[in-house]
Amino acid sequence: MNAIAGVGAYVPRLYLSADSYREAWGKGGAAGVERMAVPDADEDTLTMGTEAGRRALAAADVDAGDITHLAFATTTPPAGEEEATVRLASLLGVSSAATTRQYGGGTQVGAVALAATLDVSGPALVVVADSPQGAPESDEGAAAGAGAAALVLTEDGSLTVDAVGEFSDPYPGTRFRQRGQRETESIGITQYERDAYTSTVGGAVDALDVDVSDVDAAALTSPDGKLPYRAARTMGASTAQIAAGTVVSQTGDTGAAGPFLGLASALEDGAESVLIVGWGGGAGATALSLTATAETPVDAVLDGDTELSYAEALRRRGTITGEEPEGGGAYVSVPTWRQTIPQRHRLVAGRCRECDSLAFPPEGACAECGSLAGYDDTPLSGEGTVEAATAIGQGGAPPEFVEQQQRSGSFAVAVVAFDGPDGEESVSVPAQVVDSPVGTPAIGERIQAVPRRIYKQEGVIRYGFKVIPTAAQR
Amino acid sequence: MRDAYIVGAGQSKYGAFPDESYRSLFATAFEEAIESASGVGPDDVDEAVVGSLGVGGRQLGLSGPAVTEHVGLHGVPCSRIENACAASGYAVRQAVQAVKSGMADVALAGGYEVMTDMSGDVAKYWLGVSGETEWERLTGTTFSGVYAQMASAYLDTYDASPDHFSKVAVKNHANGAKNPKAHLGFECSLDDARNAPVVADPLNLYHCCPTSDGAAAVIVASEDVASTCDDAVRVAGVGAASERVGLFQRDSYTSIQSSAQAAETAYEMAGLGPEDVDFAEVHDCFAIAELMAYEDLGFCERGRAPELIDEGVTELGGDLPVNPSGGLKSKGHPIGATGAGQAVEAFKQLTGHADDRQVSGAKVGVTHNVGGSGGAAVVHVLEGGVL
Repeated sequence: MNAIAGVGAYVPRLYLSADSYREAWGKGGAAGVERMAVPDADEDTLTMGTEAGRRALAAADVDAGDITHLAFATTTPPAGEEEATVRLASLLGVSSAATTRQYGGGTQVGAVALAATLDVSGPALVVVADSPQGAPESDEGAAAGAGAAALVLTEDGSLTVDAVGEFSDPYPGTRFRQRGQRETESIGITQYERDAYTSTVGGAVDALDVDVSDVDAAALTSPDGKLPYRAARTMGASTAQIAAGTVVSQTGDTGAAGPFLGLASALEDGAESVLIVGWGGGAGATALSLTATAETPVDAVLDGDTELSYAEALRRRGTITGEEPEGGGAYVSVPTWRQTIPQRHRLVAGRCRECDSLAFPPEGACAECGSLAGYDDTPLSGEGTVEAATAIGQGGAPPEFVEQQQRSGSFAVAVVAFDGPDGEESVSVPAQVVDSPVGTPAIGERIQAVPRRIYKQEGVIRYGFKVIPTAAQR
Repeated sequence: MRDAYIVGAGQSKYGAFPDESYRSLFATAFEEAIESASGVGPDDVDEAVVGSLGVGGRQLGLSGPAVTEHVGLHGVPCSRIENACAASGYAVRQAVQAVKSGMADVALAGGYEVMTDMSGDVAKYWLGVSGETEWERLTGTTFSGVYAQMASAYLDTYDASPDHFSKVAVKNHANGAKNPKAHLGFECSLDDARNAPVVADPLNLYHCCPTSDGAAAVIVASEDVASTCDDAVRVAGVGAASERVGLFQRDSYTSIQSSAQAAETAYEMAGLGPEDVDFAEVHDCFAIAELMAYEDLGFCERGRAPELIDEGVTELGGDLPVNPSGGLKSKGHPIGATGAGQAVEAFKQLTGHADDRQVSGAKVGVTHNVGGSGGAAVVHVLEGGVL
């Protein structure tokens, strides 16, 4: 059976404070939540999942190409119908031959995915990402956060899963999303919803048949900051154990990802035994008890560092902005785009078969020697140096980027000399810059590639890399 | 090969003309060109080459024959050249080739563009067709962004400041204010040009040319025909070159190698050098482009362009006036018409018909027309008073 060999986690750097929410609405906000993570306009569960997945692979020191099974769990995939896991595999560099499984439906799915991956022949990667939204005035809207976590599973992993417990009991109306809607709802019957949560969480933990008082931390799905503590009694856990595995107060409701962000946080704090409980609207719960045989490496960024006003948060989430304008002219078709997916997802450059120089994209005649001999794939590390840069102000963006600019404001663009594999040569590539603190990056500044949405056209989201100043990377 | 001469030239006013069409604008340019070409009439035209990017954001497959039929050139072979902003510069080159080769004794070269009849969003979609779409545009840049990146590299490499961009704008507006055909024919102060809203850092609104409607036409003729005309300007040298379309794929971000290569070819054919040039019409779609053009055309060494603008060398009264017409910045930039429009200005200057903006004693002029951010460039060296 597989065990966890490495953990990665990623929470967006933007956040909204509960105070700002309360000020805007003149009412309470979400119980026990101080901050809600806000994904930027070019972030979604696939980009966050990719960030977390890369961190988990780095922590476990496992190459993406060696992963044989990729599981992706989310209640908020970028598209209502489409195998998001296939694109996640491409963004991460997981082989086309790997089995891919996508889990969705309720916020329990992260725990379900982990349980289902224990017996696959590894190495396996489980990515759990969520970005729930709610009507702005609703409890769900007040709590909405975002984040992703990922676990690398290998036969000799250091964090073993001792037991899996399941429990379900139909409580209709507790956390659901109607077909075709973006916003999670509940019918708002307080005691009914609490019972649905505590009784199913308690039932799943009971089914584990473990002594809960022995665990260092309990990491539960956290629709708000109080429900996990309300389940303490039925689980037989202390508030200190819940607190050790709960990050909702700093991230907001991260849906399916919540228990795994809690796990990452608990492991960073030295926990050696952790209880994970995934709960989903409906209501069902899956619990897993984990014990460390050695220290488990974690690469996690769990806190935001850039506070937004309430209006800015609505803009970033796309609640109050328009969409791409109509137009014609320059246009890159989806089939054309697909041809460059290795370059866009994984920065695959080419080495000229005639003169060995690097080319990006690797197509056409070699710029150095003019040869048409073709190129050998040469993935770049994703680190480089700014060679030229500008910041595109309001009104200066191509139509494909109008919606992004409405949501996120002006953005920087640079020509970047990406380091070649040997560190001595480089190849230049244009890239959009995220999180440049001074607006326009300085020439000579070091950057690194991050996965982001580029834009959506004809209903299809196109993913690729952008770059972040290394100094601003968390 | 025999010599070719420009014997007539005309253009419409550049600007925004909701009551005109691409055909009516071309007709205005054509009529003025024919009128200025004494001894040559529409019936003498053997060949027509016209440039345009599109018409109001639309692609028309036969817009060339549509404009020649509109001016009554029935039966004349007409082809349309598309090389982004260098379309009609290349059209002039094609007309010169036709005459030099002997396939035509009189060739019409021109261009037209209607750009102000579409919304800002559609215009950006449309203008994006001239750039490197798959990588540059999909980082979120249009031309202003790409030229801004060149500007950033230039500022980083040489002793230059954004004020030098503003000084280019002040100079070109001062010249354009003397040109009745100019789109933005007003003067501006250095403070105006310094304090305009940022478009793509470090370029602001005054460092960028407008989008314009307009048309231009020149009549190119053999020496035999030209010798019967009142005015004739010899096309002494022609040079053209291409370059990687994407900035990121080039060896230099602080010069446009296609310009430099085109200039070298044109000077060599002409047997003249930059030291012989009395004035130039250069492609200043953005102020940084004019500064790079000084260097690419050999008017100064690399990195010395700011000194030329600081010292007033390229002002109308300076040693080497650049863009006496007002350039793209003030005269306007109707994409397909721009290159031919530069030849119109050069013809007027070399035949002494440039009125208030006349460069005194102008004998040799250079036109320099760039497509996109440098994917194509064409340079002509023109010589007056030789027939």
